[in-house]
Amino acid sequence: MNLARRALLRAAASAGALAFAPRLVAQAAPMLEGGRLVVVFLRGAYDGLSAFVPWADPDYERLRQATRIPAPDGSEGVAIRLDERFALHPALAPVLPMWRDGILAVVPAAGSPDPTRSHFEAQHHWETGMPGRNSEAPGWMNRLASLEPAGLREQRLVGVGEANPRILAGELRARLVPRGPQAANQGVVGNERVRLALADLYAADGRLAEAFRAGTYSRMETARDLATEMTRADNGAGPAAGLVQAARQLTALMRSGRQLRLGFLSAGGWDTHANQGGVQGQLANQLGGLARALVELRAGLSQPGDLILVLSEFGRTAAENGTRGTDHGRGNALWLIGERVAGGRMHGRWEGLAHGNLNEGRDLPVLHDFRAVIAQALVRNFGLPESRLADLFAGAAWDARLDGLLKRA
Amino acid sequence: MVQARLPVIRLLGSALLALGASAHAQAPEDAAAWRAASRLGYAPTPALMQAIAAHPRGARGWAADEVERAFAASREAARTPAHLATLQGSIPAAFAELRAEREALRRVRADSDMRPAPQELPTRRSALEAASWRVLACSDPELENPLAARLTEFWFNHFNVFAGKGSVRPFLGHYVLHAIRPNVLGRFEDLVLATARHPAMLFYLDQAQSVAEGVTGPFGGARGLNENYARELMELHTLGAEGGYAQGDVRELARILTGWTSDPSAESGFRFAPRLHDRGEKTLLGRRFGAEGEREGREAIALLAGHSATARRVALRLSQWFVADAPPAALVGRLAAEFQASGGELRAVMRKLVAAEEFWDERQQLFKTPYDYACSVLAATGRPEPERLLQALRFLAGAGQPVHGWQTPDGYKTDARTWLAPEALTRRADFALAFSRDSAPPDHYRRFLSPRTRERITQEPAALQGMLVLASPEFMHK
Repeated sequence: MNLARRALLRAAASAGALAFAPRLVAQAAPMLEGGRLVVVFLRGAYDGLSAFVPWADPDYERLRQATRIPAPDGSEGVAIRLDERFALHPALAPVLPMWRDGILAVVPAAGSPDPTRSHFEAQHHWETGMPGRNSEAPGWMNRLASLEPAGLREQRLVGVGEANPRILAGELRARLVPRGPQAANQGVVGNERVRLALADLYAADGRLAEAFRAGTYSRMETARDLATEMTRADNGAGPAAGLVQAARQLTALMRSGRQLRLGFLSAGGWDTHANQGGVQGQLANQLGGLARALVELRAGLSQPGDLILVLSEFGRTAAENGTRGTDHGRGNALWLIGERVAGGRMHGRWEGLAHGNLNEGRDLPVLHDFRAVIAQALVRNFGLPESRLADLFAGAAWDARLDGLLKRA
Repeated sequence: MVQARLPVIRLLGSALLALGASAHAQAPEDAAAWRAASRLGYAPTPALMQAIAAHPRGARGWAADEVERAFAASREAARTPAHLATLQGSIPAAFAELRAEREALRRVRADSDMRPAPQELPTRRSALEAASWRVLACSDPELENPLAARLTEFWFNHFNVFAGKGSVRPFLGHYVLHAIRPNVLGRFEDLVLATARHPAMLFYLDQAQSVAEGVTGPFGGARGLNENYARELMELHTLGAEGGYAQGDVRELARILTGWTSDPSAESGFRFAPRLHDRGEKTLLGRRFGAEGEREGREAIALLAGHSATARRVALRLSQWFVADAPPAALVGRLAAEFQASGGELRAVMRKLVAAEEFWDERQQLFKTPYDYACSVLAATGRPEPERLLQALRFLAGAGQPVHGWQTPDGYKTDARTWLAPEALTRRADFALAFSRDSAPPDHYRRFLSPRTRERITQEPAALQGMLVLASPEFMHK
């Protein structure tokens, strides 16, 4: 029997086995293959030009003085060279291994097609996936979870820190966990008598009943999961910055609750209008915390299909303002971290900082719709059928210029 | 026969409608008292209940009078308990505190063991006192008029500043008591001006540092414009994001406001510095501004404060705050018209609001925010001990609504969509248990509970009943 024939037989046998499997199993196959997705939202618009410094661009020095990160020369306390155009802020050094290992990729000029410079409108657009629409709408992560089959979609979403972030809000309920040690505490609902009495009291009011049910479930599960995972993960480490702690909580939850595949974290403090700092200072401290949080996330989520996205509602002005800071801009760097990412390089278009190439002569332009970047990740990393993209990001077009962003399977 | 039955059916129909409107069947006068005390204040204390019951026109009459009482209170100095001493401090004293703290931190920087715990820093202590006053004021009608406390919360949130920013922290108490509170029922323009000139806002949105392009700074370096305050002044404080201005207007307004900066030795903390002001010509919303120094900024603020987009925005936000997350458009329209007709008199707008049918309509429901909830529990269980006060502040921090702790200038959201989250009710139950443990179950609240709730609670041991009243569905709404 030759090899080809043997393979054929084996295929027939497994097809037969499949045919016997109950239909339900086949139907309940998850739409999102394998991995987990974590979105890290930097609220307030971080200065991507300081994170990924266009060091070789002659205009960089003209535009930035107090906030300039010195060009890489191999010494300490200057930018770290990534390639012939970009260098990494030294506070981000902990993520350098990810770049070198080829799992960190960056789209340096991504953003929303809507030109608003309002944080609050822009965040709403990013979270709903509907630029320009300010009306109520579910978050895109919630809509993504709802593409999954019943039985799985109810347990997909998890967020740490915020009370009710828009990106997770919608039909499906998310597990929302407070940041910090209180998350590991069952509280009064651990008492069955109280729990039953409250459930009875809320039974007549649908919204309260549903919130209480979800809250009780989440509280008890979370307390149990974190009690085991966190004590191990803490390992005597001192108090960490908020984002690092939240990252640790999120990975602990996603590791013990295998159904939780879509996670959300956010960090504030990026709106550096004054005294932004350079190699050190306000922004450097923020970036340092972010880098540690990403290392923490990556350590917990290192399956081949896991993916981390780092994004922010818009960028900051290319030029410094009069108070050693930067004002609201447009395009910004969007990061992807994961093994299927074609990492270690920049993706998409980049036109430099020459005055004529800036949006309104002041900001990095938006050269790629953020939804097109996320779409690449969803299709190529998670196997989402392209036909479903319209459900998620109506009006966004597939951007073939980003086709190399993820490795072909 | 058929005709005779119709009224019965109609009656039945309206009874069903009433049930649908409010899951919590209460006597109408109790429902109105609950609404008046919980929305115009935070909770019906026994004294408030008595005052409402004694008013010849009931809750509506009490509400109309409450606007006038709150106005009178707002024009007098705030009462501050003796143990919150920093609230009596002046602005120069706050600047001195900030300087001394920075100096001390510089000295110990080299030696990390010497570094004081964050809560021991003087500016943190004064920020804690400011937050403590807010929570005492919302829960103790003898310390503060309830509607004045409510409106101080509303307008602080509208002109939000953040306690996490070091330069803002020592000024918080002064900002609450002297910029916000005296103006909550005054002219809107005065309120905008008071916030614009206060060091808390000047530092929070970087206005203090924004100067004409090319002006040299104190250390010789070239400085320039910062758009932060100008943008939020239009987007959040006045016109709203849809208010019809463009990026160019943001820049022009920033130029107009150059020179508006802080002064550590002035009682007001404010100074206009002509040297830092941009003397060129500017155009804001189509209107030209010449080289008129500080007057340009005042006129720009008058222009923005009196704009029809501002009237609509203020009317909408007040209606969302006092009536419903999605308030009836007719109400918003009437309040906006009153705002414009009265030249931005907030007292006139509030009179209209408490007289509106929509305010009293039981279909207009509001779910309590964590702040509403904490204040109402404190009010229901009596004046808090210091430890209880700290517990309330911790609860608010954990629930996502720390006092003066919202980082961005848009302030907290107030709708159920934000706050009726899975964690909300379990946290409130913990809080209710802590607060009902050593204070008597608030018996006077039972009349506000539906028969169903009342009956279910009586099945539980007495030790749990107080907690269940505070965690009941009725108590979650205002």
